[in-house]
Amino acid sequence: MDLFLQLLANGLVNGTFYALSALGLTLVFGLMRVVNFAHGEFYVIGGLAGWALTNAVGLHFFLALPIVILGMGVFGLLIDRFLIERVRDQGPETGILLTIGLSIFIVNTALLVVGTAPLKVVSPFLNRPIFIGPVVVTQARLFTVALCAVLILAVHLLVQRTTLGRAMRATFQDATAARLVGIRTRHVYGLTFALGSALAGTAGMLLGSIYVAQATIGGIVSLKAFVVVILGGMGSFAGAIVGGLVLGLVEAIWGGYGPSGYVDAVGFALVIVMLLVRPYGLFSKQVERA
Amino acid sequence: MAPVLELKGVEAAYGKAKALHGIDLRVEPGEVVALLGANGAGKTTTFRVISGLMRPSAGEVRFDGASIAGCSADAVLRAGLAHCPEERHVWPEMTVEENLRLGAYLVSQRIEIERRMERIYLRFPRLKERRRQSAGTLSGGEQQMLAIGRALMSAPRLLLLDEPSLGLSPRMAKEVLAVIRELQGQGITVLLVEQNVHNALSVASRAYVFETGRVVAENTSQALLDSPDLLKAYLGG
Repeated sequence: MDLFLQLLANGLVNGTFYALSALGLTLVFGLMRVVNFAHGEFYVIGGLAGWALTNAVGLHFFLALPIVILGMGVFGLLIDRFLIERVRDQGPETGILLTIGLSIFIVNTALLVVGTAPLKVVSPFLNRPIFIGPVVVTQARLFTVALCAVLILAVHLLVQRTTLGRAMRATFQDATAARLVGIRTRHVYGLTFALGSALAGTAGMLLGSIYVAQATIGGIVSLKAFVVVILGGMGSFAGAIVGGLVLGLVEAIWGGYGPSGYVDAVGFALVIVMLLVRPYGLFSKQVERA
Repeated sequence: MAPVLELKGVEAAYGKAKALHGIDLRVEPGEVVALLGANGAGKTTTFRVISGLMRPSAGEVRFDGASIAGCSADAVLRAGLAHCPEERHVWPEMTVEENLRLGAYLVSQRIEIERRMERIYLRFPRLKERRRQSAGTLSGGEQQMLAIGRALMSAPRLLLLDEPSLGLSPRMAKEVLAVIRELQGQGITVLLVEQNVHNALSVASRAYVFETGRVVAENTSQALLDSPDLLKAYLGG
C-alpha cells in the first residue's frame, strides 16, 4: 500500500510536469493548429539557457527565469514572423516539415555549443525530502508543482478572460471574421507563438533544475507533449492538466508494477486507445460549423 | 451630393488569375445598392477589396472622400465601413454574446459596448435568448442575424452585406430584407450582394450587374424589374 501511495504521488508530480511541458503546445498546436515538432527543442533551449545563466554566469534562479521567459518570447516571435508566417494557410504538411527542419537545426547547434553532457540548472530549492505520511517528495518538486499550477491557471485565464485571449480564439476559429472585426491577426499569430515558446522554455528551465537540461532530449519531450495535448483535447487547458496527470500516473504505476522497459510506450498506447474511443480528447467539445 | 463610397478602375487578382478588370461604382449616402451577377462574377472580390481583406492591384477606392485602397481591414472598419461576409463566418465555439462583443473589438468604452449590445438584443430577441449558447449550435437564420448583429456592433455608416439570405428559408430571407429596410431607416448605407434578384431589387434602389470581373450594367431597380429580358440576358434567368 505504501508503495502504491508513493507511486501515486510520483505520478501526480510527474503528471504536473508533463502538463507544464505541454502547455506551450496546447496553445501552438491545440489552438493555433501549427504542428510544432520543434516544441521539445524550445524546451531544450530554455533549459540550456537556464543552465548557462544560473551556472556559467552565476545569476540567481529567479533573476534568470524572467530573462529566459522574455528571451524565449522574442525568439518565438521572430520564428513566427520569419518562418511560420511563410507557410501559414498552406495546410499542416509544410508546417510539419518546417518545424522538423527547425528542430534538427536547433539540436545540432546545441550539440555544437554545449555538447552532449547533461547539465543542471542551479535552483535555490533543496532536494531535502519532505515526508507526508508514508510518502516522500522533495522540496524542489513540491515547489515546482506549485509553480506549474500557477502558470497553467494564468494561461487559462489569459485565453478565456482577456481581450487578447478572445482575439486569439477568434483568430484561430475564423481568421477572416477576426480581421473583419478589426483584429490584427498577424500580431495575434506572432504573440501566440511567442507565448507558446516562452512556456516551452520556462518548462525546460524549471524541469532542468529537477532533472537535467540536455541537447538531445527534445524529441521525447515533443512526443510526450503531443500525447498530453491529444489525450486532453486540442486547445483545452483542463484537458492538458488531466492529460498530463493521466500520463504521469499511468507511467508511474506501470513503472512500479510492470516491466519498466515499456514505460515510454504506455503513453503512446493510451493515445491510440483515445483516438479510437474519443477522437476529440477528454475535454474537447466538438461543435459543427453550420 | 458627394458619394459615400466610390470605386474607380479597381482591379484585383488571386495570384495570376485576374478577378476584377476595372470596377467603377458609386454609392450615395443612405442608399441601398445591390450587386447582381452569377457566381464568380467578382461581387465578393469587390467586397473583399473594399473592406481591406484584399489589396487592389490598381484603381481607387474612396470612402467619404478619403482613399482606403490597400488600407488594412481594421483601418477600414475604424473609418466606419463594416463587412458582413458570405457564409456568415460566426465563431462556432464562442457564445453568441462573445461573438457580438467582439464585433465592437475596436471600441474601448464599456458603456458604449453595453448600449450597442442592448440595441442588438432588442432588435434580435432570439439572440438574447441564446446568448450563452455556442454560435455553432444556432440555426442558419439565427447565425445570419448574429453575423449582421456583430457587424452592427461597430456602428458602421456603410455596411457590406454578402449573400445574407443564402441557404435560408423564404421566411428567414424576408426577415433579412426587413432588417435591411430598418438599417436604411436608421441612415445606414447598405451595399448588398444577393443571389435572389427579386429580393435584392425589392430593397435596393439601384443595382450594378457584374459579369466576369466587370460592371456590365447599372440601373434603377424599377428599370431592371421592368425589363426582365435585360436581367435574363445578364443573369441567365
